[in-house]
Amino acid sequence: MGRFSGFLVTLRQMGKPRLTTEYPKVKHDKPERLHGRHVLNRYEDGMEKCIGCELCAGVCPARCIYVRGADNPIDDPVSPGERYGFVYEINYLRCIHCDLCVEACPTEAITETKLFEFSFTNRSDAIYTKDQLLVDDAGRAQRLPWELWLGGEDDATSAWMRATSPSGASAYEGRVSWSGELGFGVRPPEHGQQPANPKPQDD
Amino acid sequence: MTTAEPQAQKTTVTVTVDGVTFEAQPGELVIKAAQEHGVYIPRFCWHERMEPVGMCRMCLVEIEGGRGYPPACTTPVADGMVVHTQTDAVKQIQDGVLEFLLINHPLDCPVCDRGGECPLQDQTLAFGPGESRFVEEKRHFPKPIPLSELVLLDRERCIQCARCIRFADEIAGDVLIDFVDRGDRMQVLNFEEQPFDSYFSGNTVQICPVGALTASQYRFRARPWDLSTVETSCTTCSMHCRGAVQSSSNRLVRLLAVDSEPVNHGWLCDKGRYGLEWVHSEHRLIEPQVRDGGVWSEVSWPDALDRAADAIETAKELHGADAIAVLGGARGTNEDAYVWSVLAKGVIGTDNVDAQLGDGLPAEFVLGMERAEIADLDRARAIVVLDHDLRDEVPVLFLRLRRAVLELGVPLVDLAPAAHGLSAHAAVIARTVPGEPLAANVHDEISRACEGRQGRVVVVVGRGNLAAAADSIVGAAAELARVHDVRFLSALRRGNVHGALDAGLAPGFLPGRTTLDAGRAWFTDQWGGVPAERGLDAEGILRAAADGKIRVLVLVGADPVSDFPDATLARRAIDAVDTIIAVDGFESESTKRAEVFLPCTLWGEKAGTVTNLEGRVQRVGRKVAPEGTAMDDWRIAAELALRLGRDLDLATVDEVTDEIARVAPAFAGVTSELVKSARDGAVLPVAGHLDEIVLRTGELSIMADDGSGTSWDPIKVHGEAPEEPADESEVTAHVDAPALHVWDRRAPQPEAPARDAYALRLVVGRALYDDGRLVSETPLLQRLVRDPDLRVHPSDLARIGVDSGGQVKVTSTRGSQVVAVRADAGVPAGIACMDFSADALGAALLVDAGQPVVDLRVESLR
Amino acid sequence: MTETRIVTKRLRDRPDDSWTIDGALASGAYEQLRAVLAKGDTADVQEQVKLSGLRGRGGAGFPTAQKWSFLPPDSFPRYLVVNADEGEPSTFKDRMLLERDPHQLVEGIAISSYSVKCNVAYVYVRGEFALGYERLARAIDDARAKGFLGRDILGSGFDCDIVVHRGAGAYICGEETALLESLEGSQGMPRIRPPFPAIEGLYAKPTVVNNVETLSTVPHIVRMGGEEYAKLGVNRSTGTRIFSVSGHVNQPGNYEVELGMTFRDLLYGLAGGVRENRKIKFFIPGGASSQWLTGSDEHLDAPLDMDFVQQTFGVMLGSGAIMVYDETVDPVLIAWRLAKFFAHESCGKCTPCREGTGWIEKVLYRMSHGLGRPADLDLLVDVGGNISPGVVNAPFVQTTICPLGPSAVSCIASLNKFFRDEVLERLRNDAGAHA
Repeated sequence: MGRFSGFLVTLRQMGKPRLTTEYPKVKHDKPERLHGRHVLNRYEDGMEKCIGCELCAGVCPARCIYVRGADNPIDDPVSPGERYGFVYEINYLRCIHCDLCVEACPTEAITETKLFEFSFTNRSDAIYTKDQLLVDDAGRAQRLPWELWLGGEDDATSAWMRATSPSGASAYEGRVSWSGELGFGVRPPEHGQQPANPKPQDD
Repeated sequence: MTTAEPQAQKTTVTVTVDGVTFEAQPGELVIKAAQEHGVYIPRFCWHERMEPVGMCRMCLVEIEGGRGYPPACTTPVADGMVVHTQTDAVKQIQDGVLEFLLINHPLDCPVCDRGGECPLQDQTLAFGPGESRFVEEKRHFPKPIPLSELVLLDRERCIQCARCIRFADEIAGDVLIDFVDRGDRMQVLNFEEQPFDSYFSGNTVQICPVGALTASQYRFRARPWDLSTVETSCTTCSMHCRGAVQSSSNRLVRLLAVDSEPVNHGWLCDKGRYGLEWVHSEHRLIEPQVRDGGVWSEVSWPDALDRAADAIETAKELHGADAIAVLGGARGTNEDAYVWSVLAKGVIGTDNVDAQLGDGLPAEFVLGMERAEIADLDRARAIVVLDHDLRDEVPVLFLRLRRAVLELGVPLVDLAPAAHGLSAHAAVIARTVPGEPLAANVHDEISRACEGRQGRVVVVVGRGNLAAAADSIVGAAAELARVHDVRFLSALRRGNVHGALDAGLAPGFLPGRTTLDAGRAWFTDQWGGVPAERGLDAEGILRAAADGKIRVLVLVGADPVSDFPDATLARRAIDAVDTIIAVDGFESESTKRAEVFLPCTLWGEKAGTVTNLEGRVQRVGRKVAPEGTAMDDWRIAAELALRLGRDLDLATVDEVTDEIARVAPAFAGVTSELVKSARDGAVLPVAGHLDEIVLRTGELSIMADDGSGTSWDPIKVHGEAPEEPADESEVTAHVDAPALHVWDRRAPQPEAPARDAYALRLVVGRALYDDGRLVSETPLLQRLVRDPDLRVHPSDLARIGVDSGGQVKVTSTRGSQVVAVRADAGVPAGIACMDFSADALGAALLVDAGQPVVDLRVESLR
Repeated sequence: MTETRIVTKRLRDRPDDSWTIDGALASGAYEQLRAVLAKGDTADVQEQVKLSGLRGRGGAGFPTAQKWSFLPPDSFPRYLVVNADEGEPSTFKDRMLLERDPHQLVEGIAISSYSVKCNVAYVYVRGEFALGYERLARAIDDARAKGFLGRDILGSGFDCDIVVHRGAGAYICGEETALLESLEGSQGMPRIRPPFPAIEGLYAKPTVVNNVETLSTVPHIVRMGGEEYAKLGVNRSTGTRIFSVSGHVNQPGNYEVELGMTFRDLLYGLAGGVRENRKIKFFIPGGASSQWLTGSDEHLDAPLDMDFVQQTFGVMLGSGAIMVYDETVDPVLIAWRLAKFFAHESCGKCTPCREGTGWIEKVLYRMSHGLGRPADLDLLVDVGGNISPGVVNAPFVQTTICPLGPSAVSCIASLNKFFRDEVLERLRNDAGAHA
């Protein structure tokens, strides 16, 4: 009996409903808060949001972000203010998609998309540079030659929610912050969440 | 007040702060006494090295029995005082002050260089409000504006604590910035068309409690969390200020001052602080090279070393060891200098070795004089300055001197050849004329200045004039040595010149301040041989080289053509030598002709010990990996020794340090272990300074213990006196070791020609921003180099018949050239001052090392 | 109701030439100096001043004799500095004394200098007082020519000279240590005390700083005798004071009255009552720094007694400037204007005053221009409390070096005390209008 007992397992499963899908023909719905690959956002006038402050690099537990700031050229500024990120690299061989960089960013320059269909065959592809991370003129992530992109993920992107509160006050718990400028629209708060900027209460 | 038992001699007062009761010195400020006993009172304007002003109001406390809330920074402790710093009322005030400071403070922390190590951020977290209630428009100014080439000012971020203004005024004496306007429009500014060109401006950036003052050198280079730090000593000059050097991605990005009580009091000069870039210069040569048929080619280290060793060996065989000379060695560590000393004197057998390049003083004098420590300035009976302008040569020694004179009231006797930064505060001024003996009444003047005072007389002696022979300085020193209870403090400026001299890189000397003759037996024993006779000093070597007597010249970080006062002689010498072996980081006018180029590591890339002008041995730290395959100088020497048939058996730098301690008499006891454990290093010879050794009880941290911010309050390393003093025998040299050399106080008679009424006697000094490699390869500092001009007394200017700023033709025995001339009432009549420079217009082409003085004929071009 | 003219007697009696040396000599000037020097007893002058109970007329009301007594006995040189930097808004008494009776001041300085054994006196004149400066300088020259100043005055062997220094327009220089800083050539910023000026003042030497009116009173005390002078006035507020009355009264001006008179007598009796017979809504009793009083009987019938008003109402007579506002006035607008003054004049040394006065000004501007928010009043009270804890409820202390910061809070405390409901109502309406 012993050598056939393994088949019993298979037989027993045959009648039950299947949990696997035929990816890539069929795709699961992704959780709304999926952490995919990052993008670096721009303002509507095309200026980069990144100011090269390195807070993302500082907070990154995997040490996968490398940023260098520089003085904004006065006649052709890259970002508003004094400083811009002139080097911005994420090493996806190390990134654990924890989203702490997004939490830390003071200008909502870095956000995570829902894109997950990318893999590499060499190390240099895995290190995304600033040029590769920046969104295009329409505010969408650039599709890089080695990325698969079977579709759908780049539409539902751009929103993020605070896991931590800026001042440590519990009132911020669960409050959503949205990068509305990205051109994808803003989702309504989910259950238990508060809107990002509640209207100031009168008295 | 307590009615304790009659303690007649109670010299301390009993104070209680937040329940902690302790004894404090009368007159000590509450804020400092509390901090020393573990109670941190928040502050912004107070800095322990400056007078309190009580402006920021952050340190207000409650004192039992007193009215109101006095500032802890202006209130001295009193016996029985009970202070509270954490009552509700005090907390409310702290909260309020922080809210006030923040209302006009911009929220640009993410782009601010201070962000992440900001005292305002940190204290707001610790003591401040969670959120602001300020909804109005903040104050706006254009940002940032340059106060100078080095310092940028963002007035929006300024919290008006006046630390920078007070530093410039009280400590540096450069009153170049002040407040303008008042109320919340009050702002720090420099005066119109007068930038904040202080040699010490970088200190204001370090002590600024916010990001209002930022350094153009460090701007946006890194953020605090990607820096790593190593404690070190700055070797830009011979003061060896303690510092914390920081790097990011294997590049040196910042040097912060560490507060060392015996040395620098927490200050640095701008040249030391911002002279980092040269280490990573694109002009640096980082691979060994050899020249074949006039063409440079990069080769492997073994090939280059073989080639160098062959050249030395051949010259020695054909022409004797005396045909080989070694110049330089003052730029590296003690270990570098020592192994080069072993190589030259013990292995090759030549005594033609000199680390000073014509701007020093005879080793007989420097190594044998009765030495003062820097701290002796503070308690001196009087200070005699026998040098040029210390501010340009040893800037932080100038600050210590200034403090001793202005703050502690030590009388200053000024014997410099021309007025300098402290002349205005001198008790006695007697200008020395180059080539002439000191004024006859100088002893009377010194006694007059010290009247009613105790302590020693400290003579600060340097090579005040590169255009006059060193003899006249030694002569003057011999004259001053007759003063009762006198000590000498060397002001020779070259980075580690004192370490190099101590290591024996001087003719007639062996390591550890011992002469060739005295140490012959001991070192023959240790090394297997020493030179037979005293060799030549730098000038003698160059002269011999020019005469064709030197066949192989080894330049250990030396560039005689650009650095030796008499450039004409240096050029002739370099052109005449058969083979030059260069150990350097850069190609220079001198190394261009080299046959072998061996790239060495620079400051920041190497660890070891260095000796400062008072003889204090301290550590330098290695922060970055060397560029290319550059090697430590000592290792290059050891490799050459191996190829010349001697295995020195030295593998690590600590082994070298320990060998020096074992072999060199003055270094007895200065083991690598001692240098690592002694916080302030050790003053040579250790036996005489054992009681000054403080053991470190923690590693350097640029973060304050209480998390109150970084690098704005003095950065200190904790230490304590050793439980029991070291055994004398551990710090005493071996019984067979030679005795230390003592200066015989012989005074060479200056034999200068009488002054000619038609000529001006030349005084050449060093400017801080000179054309040395550190400055020329650091673009930021390069911009600060002044064009050399001739400074003469206005009456002489009138006699010559030219306006200040005009051009004159100057003629010395070396030749003529055209320079700009400027009136300077601080220069005595009959004297002409010039900063040293080796470029086409420089003084180096006027100086004649063969003459005791240089007299210039100055003619108007009209 | 009448004035009691002592210090203002000459300038009222001789309106045409009171400031000239001839006019002054004709009305008894320098007689007291002559008498004091003839008597040759420095201690006696101090004793008379002590008996007179004279208190500083600049604002703080500190006993003059006591101030003099703080000078260390053996430290010379020492200086007398005259504070003629009368910058308190609506105060104009010293200006009148300078312009119209400078010789009285010169005599007072000479007598006081003799008494405190100082040989150089400095007068720090407010920069805007062009005429006052001119006349004082002229008076000093004339006095010197006549031998009342200079070497060996009137053959007594006593030397005294006066240096006049013009300020450059900073209110803070009326504060004595800031005045000394300014006199030394530095920015006018108050000094940390201790050391007090009496120990380390001008050029780090013992220094007495007195107000113009105070010193102008000294010759009269010498003339009358201290005890006689002390009979004037009430309680510890002896003698007369000049009150500068301005605002909505029919006859604004300087009135020298015996202390102890009621506000009602001063404002209605002497100053002619309020214009168009309106009611007094509120008045500021002691210069812009003081807290306010209202037109209630309780306040109007209070005596002009420095200690009484301080203890009873928590206000001060300060520099003696009374500003009267009738019922048409918006107290918030007045508060804003006062705050604007202090924000403009804050020297910037202490954080709470430097930043706080500016903040208060901005909030009051919004409030007075229809942009207020309901929480603004409480915010102001709280912010004010950070400059001057307890200012709303005396006794207060200050978190600043000098009293300029707390002065800026007086108007807030008064608004809150007397007009809280009115202000809150208005803020609610404003907020509603902009919702």
